[in-house]
Amino acid sequence: MNDTPSSGESGRVSRIMPDDFSRREFLWAMGGLGAATAAAFAGWGVLEAMIPEATADEWHKAVCRFCGTGCTIKVGLRDGKVVDIRGHEDGHNKGVICVKGSMLRSLPQIEGRLTKPMIRSGGKLKEASWDEALGLVADRFKQIRDQHGPDALAFYGSGQLYTEESYTANKLFKAGIGTNNVDGNPRLCMASAAAGYTQVYGKDEPPGAYEDLDHAECYFIMGANPYECHPPLFERVMRHKTQNRRVRIICVDPRRTPTAEHADIHLPVVPGTDLLLLNAMAQVIVEEGLTDDDFIHDHLRFSDGKNSVDFAAFREFLKDYTPEKVEAELGVSANDIRRVAFMFATSRATMSMWTMGINQRTQGTFLNNMLNTLNLITGQFGRPGATPFSITGQPNACGGVRDTGSLAHLLPNGRVVTNPEHRAECEKLWGVKPGTISAKPGYHAVALFRAMAAGDVKGALIMCTNPGVTMPDRERYFAGMEKCFTVVQEIVPDSQTAKAASVLLPAAVWCEKEGVFGQGERRYQLIPKLIDPPGEARSDLQTLVELAERLGYGDLIKAKTPNEVWDEWRKFSAHSKYNFEGITYPRLRELPGLQWPCPSEDHPGTVRRYVPGDPFVHGDKEFDFYGHKDGRAVVFLRPYVKAPEQRDNDYPMYLTTGRVLEQWHSGTMTYRIDELKQAAGPARFHLNPADALRLRIAEGDEVEVRSKFGKVRGKAVLDDAPRQGVLFAAFYDAKLLVNTAVADWFDPTSKEPEYKLTAVSVRKVS
Amino acid sequence: MDLGPLPRILTVILCVIGIGLCFWVGRVNYKRVNPERKISVGIATLSSMAFFKLLAFAALFAIPAGAVTFANYQTFEGVHAVESCERCHVMRPMATDMRDPASTTLAARHFRNGWIPKDQCYQCHSDYGLAGDVEAKMEGYRHLARYTTRTYDEPIKFKGRFHNDNCLKCHAGTPEWEGVKSHQTVRARLEESSLSCLNCHGRAHPTRSARTPGSDDYDRLMGEEGDK
Repeated sequence: MNDTPSSGESGRVSRIMPDDFSRREFLWAMGGLGAATAAAFAGWGVLEAMIPEATADEWHKAVCRFCGTGCTIKVGLRDGKVVDIRGHEDGHNKGVICVKGSMLRSLPQIEGRLTKPMIRSGGKLKEASWDEALGLVADRFKQIRDQHGPDALAFYGSGQLYTEESYTANKLFKAGIGTNNVDGNPRLCMASAAAGYTQVYGKDEPPGAYEDLDHAECYFIMGANPYECHPPLFERVMRHKTQNRRVRIICVDPRRTPTAEHADIHLPVVPGTDLLLLNAMAQVIVEEGLTDDDFIHDHLRFSDGKNSVDFAAFREFLKDYTPEKVEAELGVSANDIRRVAFMFATSRATMSMWTMGINQRTQGTFLNNMLNTLNLITGQFGRPGATPFSITGQPNACGGVRDTGSLAHLLPNGRVVTNPEHRAECEKLWGVKPGTISAKPGYHAVALFRAMAAGDVKGALIMCTNPGVTMPDRERYFAGMEKCFTVVQEIVPDSQTAKAASVLLPAAVWCEKEGVFGQGERRYQLIPKLIDPPGEARSDLQTLVELAERLGYGDLIKAKTPNEVWDEWRKFSAHSKYNFEGITYPRLRELPGLQWPCPSEDHPGTVRRYVPGDPFVHGDKEFDFYGHKDGRAVVFLRPYVKAPEQRDNDYPMYLTTGRVLEQWHSGTMTYRIDELKQAAGPARFHLNPADALRLRIAEGDEVEVRSKFGKVRGKAVLDDAPRQGVLFAAFYDAKLLVNTAVADWFDPTSKEPEYKLTAVSVRKVS
Repeated sequence: MDLGPLPRILTVILCVIGIGLCFWVGRVNYKRVNPERKISVGIATLSSMAFFKLLAFAALFAIPAGAVTFANYQTFEGVHAVESCERCHVMRPMATDMRDPASTTLAARHFRNGWIPKDQCYQCHSDYGLAGDVEAKMEGYRHLARYTTRTYDEPIKFKGRFHNDNCLKCHAGTPEWEGVKSHQTVRARLEESSLSCLNCHGRAHPTRSARTPGSDDYDRLMGEEGDK
């Protein structure tokens, strides 16, 4: 104890240590404490190093490539490759995506990507340089324009091109080449919704938003199968339903789809008759006094399509559609019609949702009119959860094609080519001479492919779409493509459309290029370029810019990069009620999208239109349908007309087409991703067991489906989802090209074909 | 195994006995112990010196070891409780949201429906089997180290890879799960956790932006809304 410091020698230590605690022992203790601390930190360090490896090294905000839900996603990268996809929790989809979106990681790496331009020579495609390919395209297009006029050229685009690409193509053809032959696959998809909205509100695009899914008490889902086709939206519906016992789902579909299985009420209408249902519901609502009379008085007017009429005329018109009068033809009981009409009108908030079952119809525009009407006359409008809402099929049909006016009758932002003022405005904004834009509407999709077959259109540029699979009466139009000088920009060399190409150009896909997608609720989102495209593949915008240069329109197409085009386009939009001037690239990089109207860079975007919060609503109006001069929305009296395809002795069944959960559209992308291909399996004809018994067809039998338009063979699967007399097939599988047998009748207003209804015969082959 | 408050009671009893014995042993003057004296302990008879040595061993080693064992058991089991996780304020938004009857997050849905009756945080964040338990403890230690040294940013962010085992241990094998075709074709990816279950089934917890201090939801998630 001699070396123990005395209390006088070392005050501090001696005050806290016992007298017999030596310096050595103190140092030992401190050493031990230090060692314990070091061990603790070392353990921590080891644990930090042991954290399981994340699935990706870096994450980037982007948008899913597939359907019109337009999910905000996070793209995980490692070593320059996409290795993982997650839903973005701050996106409108709240982190939810679907199995297709999850497997989007495999898209850039699908086997057999087209990496070099190809030129058809002697019937075969041969590799060429970009210079040779674009040189040939420019020479042939100039030759055709000079010899046959600009209307012998056409552009057939896609609701999957980026907005900048559709805008540039539209401008090049309409303000440069001088033809309105600009159309695309949105004509096959959303044209009826666009026509319906424009007639009712004076402006295209939905008044509501996905946010309404969180507030509705009654979902009226008609001609849509969101469980399979827009899974994140249906997931949101089901979550809301499980939280709120009052919520009801009504599903109207000739098939008992998974959506119908989750519904409270399923009305399996006879295909082609559902305008009877909507008119009968309106009749019940009017007769039972379930209308919102103040809303009707203050904000609506009525029209028979030609002249203004009054509410009494509407009531009179509906007398032909009492539930009892329509039930037999409709295939739904009068009692059920009354029941759903009552639920629709009296719920606290009703959201009607529809998509291809309504749009792809010869009465598609009328059906769209009436769906909007039901929400309007019951006052189910403008409140959270109360809105009509058309779900969109493609990721950029709304923003890229409808808003940019990349259809044969349109100019940007809702203008039409037949209106001289609209043409003059666009000529001024694009800086071209007055009279440059043709007053003649171009060929809509069906007419365009007919013109190609007839030889009236001699040169066509097809981008980002696969009409070789998707056109109805497919073989007729495929012949047209083969006859024409067809330039196709595509990601693979063996798609059905590529088989008809005179020149095939390799395309960059999704995050191999930068651009804006605009999905179903008026939301614009940016997809950044994250990886390089394979080989010599290029963005469609690069092709358009270079082609414009070679055709002599370099001064017109001044904006050459995505950002430059977007800036030109958003400034263009400021001259309209589609104004999104405030949606800049920097804001899009930062935010998970913005909904237009959005007129300034400090504007938060617009969730619901025509109500306060919409920058174009005048003063303190509660509702303002500013698309029409009188500020009123229009209720149309729309009579039911039988579909051109009716079952008879020769063709006793209805063929209806659609989609499945794991595949998207023509399968060019999703059917080349193993997990999705395996999940979907080969496409089949789905036949009700009662029909199968009558036709002596067993599961797995080879059957031939024949219509007046063509015949297709494929395997049968017995499935009680289609109602009796209805046959279903999806169109994703190139080995079952069902559109060969599908009728090409189209809606007289929207020009959208009636994919949902073809009279067919079915027989067992083996 | 749930032993209730037994480990805690045993720990306290052992501590009291241990302290008492230490005090007793410390007061024994071993020079004055009669080595010839025999002390009978139950069926055994010991010399008094051996008895006191054993007593000292028990006081200094055996009983403290027992007390530490029971205390650790208490600690290891106690940290399974949600209350243990939410002691760190950065975890509180997850617990508040989980108990929120209006929330639609996966955590809230599992809680509300009683799908995981207790220790909800632990059940979803410890992988299957003994290794999972140990890994969870190790991860807990890492969190503790981060929290006590303030080496984190709020809102906290999940680091590494969430193992789908935590979902599959309950869901895989059920008719509902097995009946989904997509599950079968991406099964390998799900099992290796390279495809997140959350993709299709939604967020587990409130978003990072909601958990960011100053956000509209922050006070509510911290359970402090009523204080204002």
